[in-house]
Amino acid sequence: MLNILKPFSTWIIIAAIAAALPLIFESSFALTLLSKMGVLIIFTVAYNMLLGQGGMLSFGHAIYFGLAGYASIHILNGIGEETLPYFPTVLFPLIGAIVGLFFGSIVGYVSTRRAGTAFAMISLGFCEMVTAMTLIFVIFFNGEDGIQTDRMVGPEPFGVSFGPQIEVYYLILFWVLLTVALMYIITKTPFGRMSNAVRDNPERAAFIGYSVRRVRWQAFALSSMFAGAAGSLHAINYEHIGFESVSVVQSGAVLFMAFIGGAGHFLGPIIGAIGLTYLDSTLADITEAWLLYLGLTFSGIVMFAPGGLAGLIVMHGPIARTNKNLLFSLIKPYLLAIGSVITGLLGLIGIIEMLYFRSLISKGEGEIIIFWTEFNANGILSWLIFIGLILLGIFLSKRTFPVAKESWDNAISVVKTEISNE
Amino acid sequence: MDVILFTVFNGLLYGMLLFMLSSGLTLIFGMMGVLNFAHASFFMLGAYFAYQISKYIGFVPALFIAPLIVAVCGAMVEKYALRRVHKFGHVAELLFTFGLFYIIEELVQMVWGKVPVGYHVPEFLDFTLFSMSGMGYQAYAMFTLLVSIAIFFALFSVLTKTRAGLIIQAALTHPEIVSSLGHNVPRVFMAVFGLGCALAGLAGVLAGNTLGTEPSMALSLGPIVFVVIVVGGLGSLKGALVASILIGVLQTTAISLDLSINSLIETLGFAVDLESLWHILIDLTISQVAPILPYLLLVVMLIVRPRGLFGNRDV
Amino acid sequence: MLTNFIKILLLSITLISYASISKAEDTIKIAIIEPMSGPLASVGLDLIEGLEFFAERINKAGGVLGGKHIEIVPYDNAMVAEKTIQQLRKVIDDDIRYVTQGVGSNHALNIIKTLGKHNKRNPGKEIMFLNHSAVTTSFTNELCNFYHFRFDANVDMKVAALVSQMTKDPSIKKVYLLNQNYAYGQSFQAAARRLLAERAPQIEIVGDELIVPFGKILDFNPYVSKITSSGADTVLTGNWGPDAARLIKATANSQLKVNFYTIYAGIPAAMNSMGVKVSTFNPIVQVTESHENDPSHPDWLKEIDAEYMAYANKSPYADRQRFMMDMFAAAVNEAGTADPTAVGWALEGMTAKGAHGDVHMRAEDHQMHFDMVLSRISTDVEKTFIYNNEDYGMAYATDGWVNMADITLPTTCKMKRPKK
Repeated sequence: MLNILKPFSTWIIIAAIAAALPLIFESSFALTLLSKMGVLIIFTVAYNMLLGQGGMLSFGHAIYFGLAGYASIHILNGIGEETLPYFPTVLFPLIGAIVGLFFGSIVGYVSTRRAGTAFAMISLGFCEMVTAMTLIFVIFFNGEDGIQTDRMVGPEPFGVSFGPQIEVYYLILFWVLLTVALMYIITKTPFGRMSNAVRDNPERAAFIGYSVRRVRWQAFALSSMFAGAAGSLHAINYEHIGFESVSVVQSGAVLFMAFIGGAGHFLGPIIGAIGLTYLDSTLADITEAWLLYLGLTFSGIVMFAPGGLAGLIVMHGPIARTNKNLLFSLIKPYLLAIGSVITGLLGLIGIIEMLYFRSLISKGEGEIIIFWTEFNANGILSWLIFIGLILLGIFLSKRTFPVAKESWDNAISVVKTEISNE
Repeated sequence: MDVILFTVFNGLLYGMLLFMLSSGLTLIFGMMGVLNFAHASFFMLGAYFAYQISKYIGFVPALFIAPLIVAVCGAMVEKYALRRVHKFGHVAELLFTFGLFYIIEELVQMVWGKVPVGYHVPEFLDFTLFSMSGMGYQAYAMFTLLVSIAIFFALFSVLTKTRAGLIIQAALTHPEIVSSLGHNVPRVFMAVFGLGCALAGLAGVLAGNTLGTEPSMALSLGPIVFVVIVVGGLGSLKGALVASILIGVLQTTAISLDLSINSLIETLGFAVDLESLWHILIDLTISQVAPILPYLLLVVMLIVRPRGLFGNRDV
Repeated sequence: MLTNFIKILLLSITLISYASISKAEDTIKIAIIEPMSGPLASVGLDLIEGLEFFAERINKAGGVLGGKHIEIVPYDNAMVAEKTIQQLRKVIDDDIRYVTQGVGSNHALNIIKTLGKHNKRNPGKEIMFLNHSAVTTSFTNELCNFYHFRFDANVDMKVAALVSQMTKDPSIKKVYLLNQNYAYGQSFQAAARRLLAERAPQIEIVGDELIVPFGKILDFNPYVSKITSSGADTVLTGNWGPDAARLIKATANSQLKVNFYTIYAGIPAAMNSMGVKVSTFNPIVQVTESHENDPSHPDWLKEIDAEYMAYANKSPYADRQRFMMDMFAAAVNEAGTADPTAVGWALEGMTAKGAHGDVHMRAEDHQMHFDMVLSRISTDVEKTFIYNNEDYGMAYATDGWVNMADITLPTTCKMKRPKK
């Protein structure tokens, strides 16, 4: 019996931990956050079927997420007003999936002729069109107001009404596990492999007899389907849907998550969704410059680590497998390099915060709290401190980075020789 | 008749603004293959620089200096960031500029705040030049129109008639040969990117005072510019011009039409008695749906003619 | 490899825990949900600053309940309805019992509905919505709720005031309605149609338009040409923010002479982006509960205005935030507790001092009532408008007052009240 379960052990462990989380973090803030993370994990992994697996950069994937949300809200309201027959809330993501699949198939058919930048631009155009429609066809979308619903409709099987947030969390968790597992399996199927082939070399894929456009279209439709399931859960979670859910802003957010997390690895988007949702819920309240930091991080990742966070971790896989000690030997140079970067960043953050402070707040003496310390945004001293930190950071980085790079090169060359020796 | 005339004229004014914005984008795309998501951000920078400069030394110097500064900013972005990303391909470049879009918007807020700044039309152009069926046209609007027309001819002749233009075109298709002829290809790219940004900056200088200079202006104009260059045909300057005017006229004409499906049915002599829900749908006038028309045009174009009006390859 | 990821995953989640520690403080918190980013950030930031000022005034005077302070906690909704809901969820998570909001009826509508569900599902943990400026009429009609109090006049009242002023000008014969297509704009449109027909049958409506709201329309020239060809002499509009500024700008630039009767064209940020020349080209009339150049502006209010100027570097825009905070403090003191239900009972029917006589919270529907002043933008004023040290060179001058009785309208509210 246990042997049968073994291949699934990781999944079971994750499921058990996730199910236990609300018991550890009891505050309603944590529950809200965890629910939001769950929804965005599905959406981001679905998005990565396009970006990472299929090599299609879309600025409009929120269309399917949002439209599924609108459909779910209307159906919930219909059930509430008893104009529609009862449909169990647990199965609502299926409705979302169907809506996503439907619209994804239509739009995908038109837009997957080419990948690359042209595809990206077209996806943006579609997204803008749907967003504009939500503001014009007020009858269905209710424009800027969005639509409200009450998820407590119909009978309450086993006493579950989905009123309390905890019940919604478990609903989301169930669907996260199911859909992420499905999407993982898809990457291992011949179709998943074909999708990768089309991403890497469309000419060759076409040469061996595959219709490149068809593969892209299928990937697009599947990805939209899962995005739709996420949209449904989003609607149930907040009992509201508005135009932002179909807009470029939401599409951009999912792109940020997938790419910063690492589009090249299946777990990358999950890391991105968890990390960014967390930061978005906490940092955005603390600093005005949250979007600036996000933009800088994103552009930095594009420039220096296109594999994202997951890419950086996976990079060390071969070293860890060959020789654990080799990996440990990297820790010290890495820490030094990271430390010097952080020194510089502290200075940069200080300067940014003070600039924001000065531009936004016209009153008062200029006291600002940065890193739990009070500074005077109008005093020369605090500027000198932060500029000093930046310079120190640059100075240190110039010394520590070559060392870190050298250790990495060393380690990787050891790995290479060992592999060739085998 | 009058109505048609000034609707078309209004459309032309708006369309030429779109052209100024999209010419830089299509130029960069056509020459370098880079799709600059942050193009409208450079437009915004142009407006803010012009506001700051005209506050101290007046509008006329700002008209020249602001686009120059924007060009330098653009060139720096190309040199220090895009060039590095280039090896990862065009999608990576697009991703980088997507991040840049956020960065510029936030930097603008950091420097100038979130409140719209008071960037106004210069006194000496703030008078009514002529009027047409009751609507006056400001001298400034005509000035903008003239500048944008001048830009079109200048760009067109530089690219097709001069040596510099030929080098630029050759640098994209045959970089090795061009560089072996002694031209610095990276520098050519930097110059093209700077020029494209300068065009956006100039559009910002000219439009910032009529549309309002505020941190969200890039977001509100960005997407429509992409529609223009896809409809016009990627990389085609002529296409951008025609598509801009087409979209401008389409928008203004649509707004002036109070026709709806219902009114159409009624003029045909039928009466519809639908449920209130559907009634609202068929009562929608063309003027109300005007904002989606450019995007609808995009979709139709993709289905009917994927290469756009003047493009030479399919999208 | 997978197990490594699980470790990272766990680690990142563990970080959540720190945020879940809530501190017990001896303040009464009021959450304010307004745009602090995006195109309308300036409006939201000004309001937050204003509320903080009035809360501080109360705190300096000794606070409430014998020394407790009122704390304003800002939440940014970026003018997006979904963000409002997410921020409201955060307010609930942070255990704050009072919410205030005003910029955008679309947000107010969502707050009312979301709190309706919350208050029903969590008896004993009700949250009260102090609505300082969201004016859609239905909030105090069919959507009325015990835990919602509106401290601004509703659209019907404001339009009634505008219409009564319009009837005093015999040259107004043809009016063009232009509004934003969302809860508030639709409410304005309905009110204008009804009240014009009832109270000013001599005025003909020659155009009636709803536009996509919140700065998405850049080019207003086509609308101006529509107004021109309709032959309207007056535009009656509820537009605000960039939608008002761009409309008025485009009209002035095409030399079209019309009157603007508005509710919010005088919002400071809009005035700044228009400039003096545009703002005074056409008469722009707006309706508020007070403005500082009014001859009857009382001295005690002038003192508060001066204090506010010293605090925020801004001229005051209106008075409603002041009396909202004062009435809230009075209600908390009267109730003897910060519990929203008790405070709600105390607020019902309460009267306070206003700029032009008393202001009164009608118990029936929780709608504030007061006299309203019609004013127009002018350069010929005693005090010009000042905003962050920038002198706009213009401000409002009084056209006339409308008596509270003339704009008091019946309500359809049937409110369910909790036990005292």
